[in-house]
Amino acid sequence: MRLAWGQIKRRKVVTALCMTGISIGCAAIIVAISIGNAAQSYLDKEIIGGLKLDEITVTPQSMGGNRGGEEQDGLERGLLTEDKLQVIEGFRHVKSVIPSKQLGYLRFVSSDNLVHDGINVMAVDLSKLREQGNQFQQGGPLDQVGAVVLNYGATTGWKDSETAKRLMEMINSDGNNPMLWEEYEMYERNITDMMGKSLQPEQMIGEKMVLGPQLYIGGILEVEKGQNPMYAMYDRRAYISFETAEWLSDYLNPEDNSSTKRRTFDTLTVKVDDLQNIRPLEELISKLALNATDNLAARDQIASQLNTFKAIALGIGIFILLLASISIIVAMTMSTHQRRRQIGIMKVLGAHMGQIRIMFIVEASVLGFLGGLLGIVFAFLIINGLNSFITASAGIAGLQIAVTLDTLPIGIAFAVMTGILSGIYPAISAARTNALLAIKRD
Amino acid sequence: MLRLENVSHSFKNGSEVLKVLHHIEFEVKEGEMIALLGSSGSGKSTLLNLMAGLMKPTEGHIYIAGQDIVKFSENKLAVFRRKHIGFIFQAYELIPTLTILENVELPLVFQSVSGSKRRKKALDLLEMTGIADKARLYPSQLSGGQQQRVSIARSLITEPSVIFADEPTGNLDTRTEEEIIRIMMNLNESMNTTFVVVTHEMEVAAQMKKTIMLRDGYLVRPDEKQPMLAHAPSLPGGDLQASADESDMQDDSESAEKAGDVS
Repeated sequence: MRLAWGQIKRRKVVTALCMTGISIGCAAIIVAISIGNAAQSYLDKEIIGGLKLDEITVTPQSMGGNRGGEEQDGLERGLLTEDKLQVIEGFRHVKSVIPSKQLGYLRFVSSDNLVHDGINVMAVDLSKLREQGNQFQQGGPLDQVGAVVLNYGATTGWKDSETAKRLMEMINSDGNNPMLWEEYEMYERNITDMMGKSLQPEQMIGEKMVLGPQLYIGGILEVEKGQNPMYAMYDRRAYISFETAEWLSDYLNPEDNSSTKRRTFDTLTVKVDDLQNIRPLEELISKLALNATDNLAARDQIASQLNTFKAIALGIGIFILLLASISIIVAMTMSTHQRRRQIGIMKVLGAHMGQIRIMFIVEASVLGFLGGLLGIVFAFLIINGLNSFITASAGIAGLQIAVTLDTLPIGIAFAVMTGILSGIYPAISAARTNALLAIKRD
Repeated sequence: MLRLENVSHSFKNGSEVLKVLHHIEFEVKEGEMIALLGSSGSGKSTLLNLMAGLMKPTEGHIYIAGQDIVKFSENKLAVFRRKHIGFIFQAYELIPTLTILENVELPLVFQSVSGSKRRKKALDLLEMTGIADKARLYPSQLSGGQQQRVSIARSLITEPSVIFADEPTGNLDTRTEEEIIRIMMNLNESMNTTFVVVTHEMEVAAQMKKTIMLRDGYLVRPDEKQPMLAHAPSLPGGDLQASADESDMQDDSESAEKAGDVS
């Protein structure tokens, strides 16, 4: 070890060459793993987290017939009825079932004369909103007809009616003006305190704008867990009870008498206790002539793409390390030739071939270790640079690469291993040196 | 201690075979200090390399401590060398990256002796050779004479059966040369270590208890300056010292290397 260290200190150029090569390779490995981890964490947090993997979305196999109230046997079979809801609720591993019915996007006018161009209105069991993982920022689910709960996104995008009208007119006449769009975006992102206000839906019937009944905002939800607030802003939803939905439909569609008929749903959101029970439950649900979908396939696809990305990144790191190992082999082989005399002396003094080999391999592994340490420094610098780039230029919010502690031993291990593997040939070559010729020649 | 039986050696130069040593036979007893004297090209360095196990003779046997080293493999020879043979080189051959103390310890490192034992022994030997105060310095910080003392200490650390000194005073001035010879003679007396000193200088050889002379690959009686073996061809005339002083003559080992070892 002492001999190896002495050589490393003495042969500064060879040491610098080898260390530079190996440090670049090691840094590449650490950066590759860190990027992979960051991408994984980003996907888990921003995408897979938002996928709600423990949910099954159940939809009817046939949507026809129920709205018209003509429930023929053939169509009834594929509908999402209350009976089927109860059956699904009774399945093992089902934590909760939340039915919902889409009323579609409606324009709203608030009691203080603010307007919103489109909020997706959904009929749900308001008391189950918390079961779905929602948290109330303000208020709660009111158990009365006309009560509405807005999600986080539905508190953005409100404008006073004059501004809304002005902006619409200007955009219609000068749609390419970026200043106008900037102003529009500013309003779209603006958060308004809507708690306690009343709302009226507006709908065009024929050529006439019809105002619906007054609804009362009884609760505001927080941003959903795992959802990026930037994206949540554009996911605008208003939740109402099924009773309110029927009452609202009577107002907006007086000719549609579906509310008097049997209640059906558009979607059931089934929460499952464990991911491994998703597929068996889906099979059971499909036996009820319903469609059941989950997000596992999407997750698997994302995970597969991520694994490919990680493998490519790691491959690049290993390739760079291989290139670095060539530089070590060359430098150490040169070093072996330059040190023939010293090797000869050691052999004369009684060092056998194994000891000479070990000396060179120790030297190479120390070089690898030092290169690895330098590589860690490089990795931190590179990742700092990448983070600055991502924040400043790429604008990918939430993606921050960090060098985690577990990547450091991996990087060092790769560096030392490269050192050892690269040192094998020079070590064998050194051990084969003819002592006598080495002493006499130099 | 050291016995050579009918040792001959040849080098091949293309199709030509050059015989550089002819039927050498002699014995060195334990505790003896002998000079192996000869001019350049006489074969003394080749003989030294054969005795040290760095080369194998074309024929004959070399016994050290009762073992015929000619039969040993390279690794066995390495192990044997580290136990039984010490070396003192003309150019000292210290490892520049190690301190004086570490250089002296080095042969024991190859024997896996513990650090504290190595250090104590090395310091004792440096004390005996008079340079213990330089133990922490590096070879480049020492004079030639001091480096040769380190080399002597290093050769003794394994308590070898025999020490081969190859022109140990060849790079030194006269005053330092005397010092080094005196140190070696003192160690020979105090430690009863066997020394074989290869030299081309009569003054050095004269200080040894026994001298073996080589001329053109033949062993020569010092008083007779004639081949010791009856079948040896007659030697060309000329004074041995005079030929030893011919500095422009090619060293036998160099010619050996060029010719290629046929052993």
